[in-house]
Amino acid sequence: MRILLVYSHPVPESFCAAIRDTAVRTLEKAGHEVDLLDLYAEGFDPVMQADERRRYNEMQRADHPYPDHAERLEAADGLIFVYPTWWYGLPAMLKGWLDRVWTPELTFHMSDGPGPIEPLMTHINLLGVITTCGAPRWWSYVVAHPGKRTILRGMRALCGKSCKRLFMAHYLMDKSTPESRANYLAAVEKRLAKIRG
Amino acid sequence: MRVLVVHAHPVAASFNASLFRLTVERLAANGHQVDTIDLYQDGFNPVMSETERLNYHDLEINRKPVESHVDQLLAAEALVLVYPVWNYGFPAILKGWFDRVFLPGVSFGLADGKVRPTLHNIGRILVVTSYGGSRFRSWLMGDPPRKIANRILRATVRPGAPVTYLAHYEMNLSTEQTRQSFMSKVEKNLDKF
Repeated sequence: MRILLVYSHPVPESFCAAIRDTAVRTLEKAGHEVDLLDLYAEGFDPVMQADERRRYNEMQRADHPYPDHAERLEAADGLIFVYPTWWYGLPAMLKGWLDRVWTPELTFHMSDGPGPIEPLMTHINLLGVITTCGAPRWWSYVVAHPGKRTILRGMRALCGKSCKRLFMAHYLMDKSTPESRANYLAAVEKRLAKIRG
Repeated sequence: MRVLVVHAHPVAASFNASLFRLTVERLAANGHQVDTIDLYQDGFNPVMSETERLNYHDLEINRKPVESHVDQLLAAEALVLVYPVWNYGFPAILKGWFDRVFLPGVSFGLADGKVRPTLHNIGRILVVTSYGGSRFRSWLMGDPPRKIANRILRATVRPGAPVTYLAHYEMNLSTEQTRQSFMSKVEKNLDKF
């Protein structure tokens, strides 16, 4: 399958970069085609400005602020996000990517009346989140994993009905050890090697 | 009371922006000292840089790039957030404000890897927001922004501080009447400060 891997971390030698590399290597080895999108490296601008907001509901493909990203999103069968959980959610960089790139008529169709929106990302069969959290697991569950829910429920609703979900987190990053990090990378490898399709 | 009002909407003619103006005017009329941060107006950059991330745990310098925001946050006795919900979350510009300003040594301390919230100067939180989706659909999605306010922000500020979450759902179907009645609700809650 063709997988768009969206990566967001400002530090090139971060642990998230190691996760990204493990993910790309494992997926390619399993025969998938990986399209890596590194938001910091691209200097992506996550802030939707007034003019774009005014046009948002009637956004046409010709007006899309990042046509290249729209095409890559359309070409993907699977999406995997690799990012650090900051303040219990997505880094602003990644949140802004959802806000600006997941536009109406590309990812969903807005109904005129009170009906629900119609999903248009039905070609996406896999939606994955691989992250690191400063918080412990129990507290992340108490506060209900806002970042995970934004993607695995909110964005999931715009994907295909049979779209599979994947979530992995290394909790308590500030107390992590070389061993815990190596174990996590091994778990990522094991999990991603199982992806079929 | 000294109140910090933080706003995040790009369009000045939006309903959300009018909620922000209403909030500031009402609080001032009620005799409060109001500080405002209008993130779009100020051209706030929400992207945490590589240097900031590397200095994140250095309490001496981590707040330097956002010092005026930190000062306003630490001087506040109440915090009001006025923003739209986009994609079941904060607009990126507001998410980045939390990423960059709610730092170790500002809103929390780290002891042995454990987080200790420290923003005890804030004794009241009010969130004023608007959603495109319905309350039911947002609930199905886990309503992340509501949980951030009711669980995370609540745990970050003074223990026992009241947290009020006011949301106008289904903005696309809103009418003059629903907007008016929401504004009255906001005013009523501001009057409790």
